[in-house]
Amino acid sequence: MSRNDRYQELFRQALRIRLVEEKVIELYPSDKIQSPVHLSIGQEAVAVGVCEALRPEDAVYITYRGHAFYMAKGGPLPELMAELYGRRNGVSGGKAGSMHLAAPQVGVMGASAVVGSTISVAVGGAMANRILKKPGLSVVCFGDGATEQGTYHESLNLASLYGLPALFLCENNGLAVHASLAERQSYRILEHARSYGIETVRIDEGWDFLKIGDVTRQVTDAMRADGRPRVMEVMTCRYKEHVGPGEDFAAGYRSQAEVEAWMAKDPLCADTALVAELKPALDAEIDQAVAFAEAGELPGLDDLLTDVY
Amino acid sequence: MTISLPPRMTYRDGLATAMRRAMAESDNTIIIGQGVTDHKGIFGTTSDLHKEFPGRVIETPLSEDAVTGLCVGGAINGLYPINTHIRADFGLLAVNQLINMAAKYKYMFGGLFQVPMLVRMVIGRSWGQGAQHSQSLQSLFAHIPGLTVVMPSTPEAILRTYDHAVRTHKGPVVSFEHRLMYDLSFDTDQHPPVTDPFGSRLERRGKDVTIVATSIMVLEARRAAAHLAQHGIDCEVIDLHCVSRPDRKMIMDSVTKTGKLVVADTSWLPYGVSAEVCRIVAESDPGVLKAPVVNLGMALAPCPTAKSLEDVYYPDLHLTIDAVAKLVRGKADHGVPIPTHKSMTDFYKHFRGPF
Ligand SMILES: Cc1ncc(C[n+]2csc(CCOP(=O)(O)OP(=O)(O)O)c2C)c(N)n1
Ligand SMILES: [Mg+2]
Repeated sequence: MSRNDRYQELFRQALRIRLVEEKVIELYPSDKIQSPVHLSIGQEAVAVGVCEALRPEDAVYITYRGHAFYMAKGGPLPELMAELYGRRNGVSGGKAGSMHLAAPQVGVMGASAVVGSTISVAVGGAMANRILKKPGLSVVCFGDGATEQGTYHESLNLASLYGLPALFLCENNGLAVHASLAERQSYRILEHARSYGIETVRIDEGWDFLKIGDVTRQVTDAMRADGRPRVMEVMTCRYKEHVGPGEDFAAGYRSQAEVEAWMAKDPLCADTALVAELKPALDAEIDQAVAFAEAGELPGLDDLLTDVY
Repeated sequence: MTISLPPRMTYRDGLATAMRRAMAESDNTIIIGQGVTDHKGIFGTTSDLHKEFPGRVIETPLSEDAVTGLCVGGAINGLYPINTHIRADFGLLAVNQLINMAAKYKYMFGGLFQVPMLVRMVIGRSWGQGAQHSQSLQSLFAHIPGLTVVMPSTPEAILRTYDHAVRTHKGPVVSFEHRLMYDLSFDTDQHPPVTDPFGSRLERRGKDVTIVATSIMVLEARRAAAHLAQHGIDCEVIDLHCVSRPDRKMIMDSVTKTGKLVVADTSWLPYGVSAEVCRIVAESDPGVLKAPVVNLGMALAPCPTAKSLEDVYYPDLHLTIDAVAKLVRGKADHGVPIPTHKSMTDFYKHFRGPF
């Protein structure tokens, strides 16, 4: 693939995620989606770049802010939309909603809404692959806030101690809900990670899916060779409010100018010509997904007690 | 599934045999926890297995939370993890993973995943275990849909239950083992074959009173029943075993016959096993009761360390005999002699510290 083809393909994937989430914003006032939504808008390039370097047998463990990784790893879009609608034809029959996306057939191994709680689960996935002699890396995506949890420390230690190929991917958007890094952290994320004997890499250009793809490829190639964990921190920017479809710059907890400066570098904002070229086909796909969701049945009493044990 | 058992076996041998079978059964089984590879081997139940099954018996850092998460991740990816806690109290550090993850991973994702795993939690008692090495936390976990909670009271129950958990059941099982029973020998031939290995067990048939018991209280109930039989009181004893899914029919059939119910649990009474058994009777047919229910459990306080306090903290044989006799005869001067007082831990006196 030429550089241009690759740029265009990754751009298309990132734009697809953004347009899906913009559709969520458009639909939200109708109350057709009755589930909290944590939008990835602004952060799509991380998911797209990382997943470009992953193979089908690689697994991702994600969070409540999971639409982007679900789609970038290949989770089906109609079933995603139906899941947001709480329909039986959703990927989890309506029991998951926006916060608990999974598609194990493409390696999306589940999203948790308890911050930090999939980190150790991903380490367990890496251990299972080693014991069962199966190929595939475990990638766990989490926010900067999750690094404050004790389980993150325990998991880094386990992965390093047992020598497991788990990629700890921190999407650092500088915020946990409304609290800044400075209000929360007395340590530097990668410095701390290196104290476990884990190699680290940081990417500042979280809008640059090409760079993120390249770096992830180098990191994952090294992991496939040595079977060791890595920690990767990607600086990124959440454009919307923490949860919900709106913006909340008026609340004053962060600077709108900084977000606008970030947007100026974001290809999805800057490259309006390519957006115009790709949008019609993507819109058509999204409309079909919405139609699929709206045609879905509502789950009912028959479904209430299935899959408990 | 038939399991051949030697005629006599200790609780510990039952556990050790179950662990070896689970490992030999499948290359997917792992045993993981603090102390599983050391010379004490979880009170002798995992000893030397790391030599026999290299790479699958895994010593861990003191990280109950992440180790449990690692088990969940292993389970959804094809392993059968067996995770040990030498005290149930330490399992409280694993509660986020057990309740928010293990119990939810199947339902929350609409059946896309299964979480087959076994968590062994050991209840401590005696030799000054104190407030943080002695808790019986079964009802805390049994409250949660998605978790199966068992309390095996015999080697037979251990072997059948763990075999079923490992080979057949595809969800998370939390088992509370009782440290005081580890050294006790059991006759293994007196158990009728069970249809459901997780099911409650009718341990003794009787017509005067039903005693529903858990864990070591099943042993106390049987000793009480043997004594009471010499004085004309015929007890039926039910080993509840699966506290998260008690056999409602077995309980109701028995209470309908006897009209009298004693619940003897190893833990506190409020919101616990006792409360749950009473709920079953109250919802099914409270009219079968000919007298109020009697509940036996720990005093409503953290566990004290001094032996003199501990001896009055737990319900024991004497209390059980007295309570049952009072209930059946309907009066305090029931005429049944109470055997000379000997504390339960003195009776099971094989148990000496430090662990
Ligand atoms: C254990 C836990 N504590 C608190 C919350 C509430 N909460 C939800 S998201 C969030 C912020 C997490 O920040 P970060 O990890 O940086 O992820 P981001 O939302 O920025 O993507 C918090 C505190 C939670 N869901 N789980
Ligand atoms: Mg954040």
